Amino acid sequence: MSSSPQNYSAVANSHTNGTIRRTKILLLGTRRSGKTSLFQVLFNGFPLKQAFYLEPTMRVAKHLVDTVIPLEIWDCPGNITVDTLGASLADFATIVFVIDIRDLYQQPVSKLVEFIVAACQVNPDINFEVFVHKAERLQEDDKLENFRQIHERVMDRLIDESPEFEQFPLNFHLTSIYDHSLREAFSLVLHKLIESLPYLEDLLNVFCANTASPKAFLFDTSSKIHVATDTSPVDQATHNLCCDYLSMLNSFGPLYRSNAINDPRTSRDSPATTPPPTATPLSPASGSVSASPGVPLASPPKPPFFPCAATSLSPSHPGTTLTYHLVTPHLALLALLPTTVYEVRRGLVEWNVVWFREGVREIWEVEKERSAGEVV
Amino acid sequence: MKKKVLLMGASGSGKTSMRSMIFSNNPASLTSRLGATIDVEQNHVRFLGDLILNLWDCGGQDAFMDSYLSTQRSVIFSHVGVMIYVFDVESREMEKDLEYYRDCLEGLSQFSKNANVFLLVHKVDLVREAERNTVVERKVEELEKASGETPVKVFSTSIYDESLYKAWSNIVNTLIPNARNLSKHLRIFAEACNATEVILFERTTFLVIATSSHADSSDAFPSDPVALHALDPKRYERTSELIKAFKQSCSRLREEFRSLEMELAEFTAVLDEMTKNTYVLVVVHDPVIETAAIRMNICMARKKFEELQGDSLVSEK
Repeated sequence: MSSSPQNYSAVANSHTNGTIRRTKILLLGTRRSGKTSLFQVLFNGFPLKQAFYLEPTMRVAKHLVDTVIPLEIWDCPGNITVDTLGASLADFATIVFVIDIRDLYQQPVSKLVEFIVAACQVNPDINFEVFVHKAERLQEDDKLENFRQIHERVMDRLIDESPEFEQFPLNFHLTSIYDHSLREAFSLVLHKLIESLPYLEDLLNVFCANTASPKAFLFDTSSKIHVATDTSPVDQATHNLCCDYLSMLNSFGPLYRSNAINDPRTSRDSPATTPPPTATPLSPASGSVSASPGVPLASPPKPPFFPCAATSLSPSHPGTTLTYHLVTPHLALLALLPTTVYEVRRGLVEWNVVWFREGVREIWEVEKERSAGEVV
Repeated sequence: MKKKVLLMGASGSGKTSMRSMIFSNNPASLTSRLGATIDVEQNHVRFLGDLILNLWDCGGQDAFMDSYLSTQRSVIFSHVGVMIYVFDVESREMEKDLEYYRDCLEGLSQFSKNANVFLLVHKVDLVREAERNTVVERKVEELEKASGETPVKVFSTSIYDESLYKAWSNIVNTLIPNARNLSKHLRIFAEACNATEVILFERTTFLVIATSSHADSSDAFPSDPVALHALDPKRYERTSELIKAFKQSCSRLREEFRSLEMELAEFTAVLDEMTKNTYVLVVVHDPVIETAAIRMNICMARKKFEELQGDSLVSEK
């Protein structure tokens, strides 16, 4: 149905015949506000320079995306209304509304309000997220001024509709495809949809505590959206560095890929093909030093292989090491570690990664079962 | 040892932005802030420790060009190691550009007969991708014809992709006296690591200095591991580009990039300091080899490569 990227669609098919329950996200906005380019840049690694040449979307495009949970993202043409959508708003978990920051606000704001009013009647739990988009086009001061103005306008119009809307939870994000603000905003959108988020966060917290890491993220590798992070506040610069690191590693992979016919590596198991290691169920807290190791990795014939990488940064004295460990075919753990910890106790760090991976895999399995089970 | 490098070309063809990207680590997005170069801007860039590149960034406005060719002629054109002449691919005054270019060649033949000449067809990102190859081919032909007897090397470049690094790695390579010798030792080192390929980069610019694989076609050396694995031909310049970009992201956090090790599904690699002025990338496809082993080998090879580098530059004096 849609042009979902190859690496995602492969997984989508392997689940079931495509009949799994997907969390639906609706992408709305007036024409030329940047909906399609936003989607393409996030999930298809679309070159930024080409965004200019995108054709207008003429009918609703449904994209299947598999990250930690299966998503279905509907990219809509600009002139769509509640009636022409062809689906009930009750089916959607989140509506993302995109507004061009330089646009005249009259039209988009009324459209947004129209959708909010319609959605609230059928689906009071729906999340509304407003992306004030193309932020790169304005200077810093104007940017914040316009952002504030849009926010105010929307709230005013909502209260005009009905005073009940005064407390309506509406989230505003300032975004641009030219930096990582889009990824950060979309991460926040996604976080609200992941029911297992608290457990993932717990796992990350335990990992951080055990390895003296100041910050750790669980990233979706191809879209570079972070699915979860530990509870310490997110520093934007660190987040950006992790995104850049991930895109560097993503580009390195194919660069030195061997095209030989009998490459020893191709016979090696990748995590995509191995079944998850069968370990005794363990809660993350019990994955501490006292637990007995050896169960997950020692399955003799072909130990599963998980790519990993580390880069060390100086010059501040203890120095920081940025590590990367693939956890599931599409999720990677990125952590900042003190270089001393990484160099002296690398074994322990990796051991913690093993338990972290176990935990995430269990959650992933449960999520997979659930989304498949609800259909049957 | 000092080498004089002339950067020439019409005004606005992109000489200074190119220089700022390669030697000052500025991102491409900031080059729009650069002003026009007035007269000649001289820079000394330490490259590989003892080799000093004396960059003459020559402002390209007609008045300056005329004075280089007349009153300043002997100053500009004597002792030149390399002349890099930049042509804007979309230039509307190609006739005039070519005329100045021929005059410069004449100046070179008068004062520095042995200078290498490189021609860059720049800003190719402005040409639509579908037409790019044909446009570049036509330009190359035109430029080779204009150069007459002088042997030239033409590259198409853009500051927005890896082509810039490819061209500059080639340019710099002609300036390194013992590139062949380095290559030979890298080959021995690669064998010791059981590596598919070993690549040596200059530390600040991340330009490729030497590699373990044979420079020419893979047919000549069928046992060459790189030929066996049929690696991507653009890997060198892409690596330079990727690492430079990551260094910039690190510097935004006031961190400095030091080393990288990867154990990916496709290969294992370590990028680490080799000598004071170089970084080495060791790429291994054998899944049994661990990064720690590669690191140890790098550690042990350091002394030898420091010597090699020292030797070569002294002997050339």
